[in-house]
Amino acid sequence: MAEQQKPVAPAIPVAPTKPAPGEAPKKLEFRLLGHNYTTPDLVAKVTGKAKYAEDFRAEGMVFIKLMPSPRPHARVISIDASAALAMPGVHGILTAKDLPAPPPPPGPVPAAAAAARPAGTPPGTPAGSPAPQAAAPGGGGAPAAPAPAAGAAPPVAAPTPPPMPPEFALTDEPVYEGEPILAIAADSEELAAEAIDRIVVEFEALPFVIDPLEGMRPGSPDGRTQGNVFVGPSMKTVKWTAADMAMVDAGKFPVNAEATETLTYGDIEKGFAEADLIVERDSQQQTTSHQPLESRSAMAYWQNGKCHINVSTQSLARTVAAVAGWVGIKPEELVLISEYTGGGFGSKIPGSQSIAIPALMSKKLNGRPVMMRISRAEETYIGRVRPGYQGWVKMGFKKDGRITAVDTFIVEASGPYRRQGDHATSANLATLQFQAPNMRFRGLSVATNTPPGTSQRAPGGLQSSVWFEPVVAEAARKLGIDQVAIRRLNAPEGTAQFGLNPPNTPPGRPRNKVTSCFVKECLDKGAEIFGWEARKANSGKRTGSKVRGIGVATGAYTAGSIGVDGLCVLRPDGKLEIHQGIGNLGTHSVVDTARVIAEIANVPWENCEVVWGNTAKGLPWSSIQAGSQTTYAHTRANYATGMDLKKKLTEIAAKDFGGTPEQYDTNAQGVIRKGGGLRLTWAKAAERAIALGGIYDGTEVPKELNAMTKAAAAAHKGRGLMGVARDNLPRDGQTYGFMSGFAEVEVDVETGVWRILEYVGVADVGTVIHPNSLGGQIHGGGIQGIGHVRSQKLVYDPHYGAGLSTRLHHNKPPTILDIPHTLKWAAVELPDPTNPIGAKGIGEPSVGAAAGAVLNALADAIGDGIIRRTPVQPEHIMEALANGGKPAYEPLTAFI
Amino acid sequence: MPPIRDAMSAFELFQPASVGDALGILDRHGADAWVMAGGMDTFDWLKDRIKKPKVVVDLGMVDELRGIKDAAGGLEIGATTTLTTVANNPLVKERFPLLAEAALIVASPQIRNQGTVGGNISQDARCWYYRAGWPCYRAGGNICYADTPTAVNREHAIFNADRCVAVNPSDTAPALVALDAEFVIKRGSAERVVPAREFFIGPGIDITRLTVLQPGDLLTAIRIPATWAGKAHYFEKVRDRMVWDFALVNIAASLNMSGATISDARMVVNGVAAEPYRLDAVEAAIKGRPRDKATAEMAADLAVQGAVPLRHNAYKIPLVKALVKRAIRGEAEWATS
Amino acid sequence: MGQNDGMAGAVERLITLDVNGQQRRVDVLKNETLAMTLRYKLGLTGTKLGCDRAECGACTVLVDDVPRYACSVLTHSVRGKKIQSIEGLAAPDGTLHPVQQAVVEGQGFQCAFCMPGFVMATVGFLKTNPAPTRAQLAHGISGNLCRCADYNKILDCMMVAADKSRGA
Repeated sequence: MAEQQKPVAPAIPVAPTKPAPGEAPKKLEFRLLGHNYTTPDLVAKVTGKAKYAEDFRAEGMVFIKLMPSPRPHARVISIDASAALAMPGVHGILTAKDLPAPPPPPGPVPAAAAAARPAGTPPGTPAGSPAPQAAAPGGGGAPAAPAPAAGAAPPVAAPTPPPMPPEFALTDEPVYEGEPILAIAADSEELAAEAIDRIVVEFEALPFVIDPLEGMRPGSPDGRTQGNVFVGPSMKTVKWTAADMAMVDAGKFPVNAEATETLTYGDIEKGFAEADLIVERDSQQQTTSHQPLESRSAMAYWQNGKCHINVSTQSLARTVAAVAGWVGIKPEELVLISEYTGGGFGSKIPGSQSIAIPALMSKKLNGRPVMMRISRAEETYIGRVRPGYQGWVKMGFKKDGRITAVDTFIVEASGPYRRQGDHATSANLATLQFQAPNMRFRGLSVATNTPPGTSQRAPGGLQSSVWFEPVVAEAARKLGIDQVAIRRLNAPEGTAQFGLNPPNTPPGRPRNKVTSCFVKECLDKGAEIFGWEARKANSGKRTGSKVRGIGVATGAYTAGSIGVDGLCVLRPDGKLEIHQGIGNLGTHSVVDTARVIAEIANVPWENCEVVWGNTAKGLPWSSIQAGSQTTYAHTRANYATGMDLKKKLTEIAAKDFGGTPEQYDTNAQGVIRKGGGLRLTWAKAAERAIALGGIYDGTEVPKELNAMTKAAAAAHKGRGLMGVARDNLPRDGQTYGFMSGFAEVEVDVETGVWRILEYVGVADVGTVIHPNSLGGQIHGGGIQGIGHVRSQKLVYDPHYGAGLSTRLHHNKPPTILDIPHTLKWAAVELPDPTNPIGAKGIGEPSVGAAAGAVLNALADAIGDGIIRRTPVQPEHIMEALANGGKPAYEPLTAFI
Repeated sequence: MPPIRDAMSAFELFQPASVGDALGILDRHGADAWVMAGGMDTFDWLKDRIKKPKVVVDLGMVDELRGIKDAAGGLEIGATTTLTTVANNPLVKERFPLLAEAALIVASPQIRNQGTVGGNISQDARCWYYRAGWPCYRAGGNICYADTPTAVNREHAIFNADRCVAVNPSDTAPALVALDAEFVIKRGSAERVVPAREFFIGPGIDITRLTVLQPGDLLTAIRIPATWAGKAHYFEKVRDRMVWDFALVNIAASLNMSGATISDARMVVNGVAAEPYRLDAVEAAIKGRPRDKATAEMAADLAVQGAVPLRHNAYKIPLVKALVKRAIRGEAEWATS
Repeated sequence: MGQNDGMAGAVERLITLDVNGQQRRVDVLKNETLAMTLRYKLGLTGTKLGCDRAECGACTVLVDDVPRYACSVLTHSVRGKKIQSIEGLAAPDGTLHPVQQAVVEGQGFQCAFCMPGFVMATVGFLKTNPAPTRAQLAHGISGNLCRCADYNKILDCMMVAADKSRGA
């Protein structure tokens, strides 16, 4: 291990502390945390030995191909598979009728609809999962009022439409092109494909909607038979007026059209009345596909009554219940293996429905191994998307740049299955990011017959920066205020309050607040590293056909949940096994947060083994690996676990050597007497724990543990000294991470081609636990944001409802040449007072900061009037500049 | 709209070691045979299960189809010479840097390592309706899905559309046209040499092909005459991503300067028509004029005469104008680097 | 098929491949790509299929030292050529190749699904340009996508890798 060993004692408080009033927060120093090291999975990855779901082969394995729906919306009338099933080497068919009955409504155990983000839950929280955040953030994600859930629709007049049924792995009512109708298993993929060519499916075509605004046209078809607009868990039909649509046809968003969702705070009329400057614009941002490089392939077999599935998932422990629900078995009948996951970005939070297909096919084939390789084209259809927006935003400013009011209307393209709520999240975040004293959000979540939406890295958060940041930038230019200064002026600080409320909320209702917030520090540090003052000279600088621009923006997102568990076993060989239920999706948090236990108990990292990736190994309950929750949640849980381990070590020493536990401590060798020498080696302590039994070897565990952790503890009892704990540490407020992003761009005004010359991201991530990983998150998230602004899109033919951008060169994820050759990052390293080591998450705030900074730099170069939609394609700039600054593109059309 | 993708159908494979053997196989199998060079176009068709040839003839073992040699001050380039080889070859870089630049900007390094210059110029249209297997004109049907009121056609043609609005996607093709290249085609025991203007064809000639190559034909070599060796040139490709992307529009120009004035020129844009679009009017009008702003402005207006935009591609008109101006002014642009 | 036996250019299914320095006899379908053969016939699953369409680079291997997309190469076409995959990079005693070592030391990549392809592309590129600038390196390995977008750290690691490779 390449870590640096510092002789300093860990500055670990025994419980979360707040700095005393007036005391400035200070960076915390640790022995392990904050130092670079090599994660133990890296050699396997770099030698090709790391096995992802599709890397497994087994004796007798058969292979699945899926029949994708050729239509955007249809009903299956009949399926004739007789010719296919008669082919030698074809083993079976699976259709929607073979899937288990709908799971029970969301209860304590996440069910089939696990990926849903109903109003009032954090991003990606499985429906009905034990909510770690009592005051759940609203609107699909992020900031919100305490209760009732913000972002929810206002009460709907009786009769209340029934909740929409969940999405299944296979369907006889496909609601988007490419949705799987059936699966065939055969000796090879080629044979399965030939078999599918012989299947005759009779469809009844049903109406469909591609562009959400077209779904609002009077008399237009609805995307679902139940309606065109998602209202809470239900749907209804909402059509705008002919006058509204005449505005749409004229390229203008109808600001006064009907909305089904409204959230407010303060009094926007008063706010706008107080404004010295009002800036408003129509805006549009695109739907994008997640495109993890590893598709959602899965392999399943049954053995000894258990279903074993190799999957690609973001969150291992939190995938079990969802997959069990999809397969129709009890969680304890399922073994999930996912040691490595090739990215997810929100599209694989609890795996995905399609995992059930090989599992159920294998069951039909008496447990025979079944591989389902998902191709890139299939991934583009079933692999989820970020909802696009069409709408309008208006902001009021005082002369000094202070924001007085924000009003926005957002139509989100929600896909066919459920309300996404990204739009409400964006609005809620605006109250945090810009501390708007008065705000109104109106929105619609429209069903589109396009790939299903779900959380995509910073769901609503990326869109928030793209939506509001350019308006702030335009106002600063109009007011003659420095771009950094206007953001400092409106930045949240301390335990800033935020959130919107449903209409008619009684006044005086308490708002949410953050646990820490150092946005101004991020802006200051970023300005210094970027050289903001000096680079201002580049603003608008013209060289030949090139003009430069600089921009700054902020990003914010949830950065931590509470209430999860940790588990470790100190073995008689002196090694410490640290069990993690976290998925290994590439963020390194599965290992980074394990180091907290070693840190707390003073166990040398060389003595530690991290156990992950297979539920049969006995893993503790975890947070979902989404919403930037993991670092915060699991540093807390593993802090509690490390404290439990250390407490037990000192208790054993006191039992054996006299005195009280407080008279003992640990060092690199084991348990020492304070002021004295070594009393118990790690190995000896483990042996003693086994001899003592009870709480020491895991025979007795705290009642408060989550059930999965209890089962894991039971599986490992008697193997050594067990440290096991639930995070019961207090927290007052919601934990958010923040970023500042700074960019310089160069635009070729003749062709519209533009490139990014410089990018700097600075994070408010609390204590940095692994610098190399943090840099990866800041830049990786940043480049995903840049991809949103620069090139990524999803294109549909609206007449046929057919996806056209099924290839990567169509949907255009960013390449290594689409970014500057060198990127910079930093962190302000001020600890969050509600986390014992001070850490917060950062995977998501990075996305919006970069997207906003690049957009603002582009506008700095070419003016505020040109960019009204993303991605910013060369012709958007070139044509407008050739046309006196007036955009020539269609401003509101989606999916082009 | 094929219901299922990503499983190649079985085929018989031939890997001849000589041009003679290859021609023999093509002769025997006629329209059943599919000629594959680097395969970068082929695999899409086969993996999409849109084309299911009975026989694939892989030219990879035919050494005599590879290589670059002097031909009276010009060059003869074997058809299966890789794009990487073309881009890095000292003779190409010295005599025809226009071609070297065009080859170096194709797709990605791995594709250039495998894709051939013959394949790059012979590749099929990339229209996303056609390539998805929709039964359009180009596929033998009787509709163009990309030319409907609601079609998404940002990447499609502004010139010479005739029912089909697909464009030629090649980067090296306009360069070769601008170098007056000739194409050596063998068939059975016969050989013919086709000038660039005739090699690439529009839908008016044959709506199902982008080149004159028919089943049984084998493109064996590309001959570039000495005419434009060492002359001034300009190449630029405008695209969304800086690697692995097709041109929205590209331009290739050769200019023979007589002192400060243009004595002769070739100017070709691609991504705007089914064939590399040679700007004849511009070539004629700029003769005898200096490479200055006035010439550029005049040429730009001439370049787009007759352009007919579709709903989403009107930007190609000012883009062609911009590229023509730049080609005439001759400014080095980072867009090509 | 019988009619083609012995005909010029006809091919057999049982062929010999030179993979990572070993001669391997393999039964290969005529429509089989090198990625499929490596992954499913030879068990070399370090070569990943990210797109199977020559767009992402996750399947990059070296064929006679040249980076190629193994998803888009017919296995039959690399008979007699030297194939190197990620599994053949480290020394038999486990000593990592300098490029691998640089990745480990720099904690490069995140989910790492793209990593074998990036490593092979870099090894191949450094054979043609052992001392690249950062910009040249970026161009050289630009045929590979990283969806975690860890490009900056990848370039950091690979610049170190270039130094190490020259020193090695």
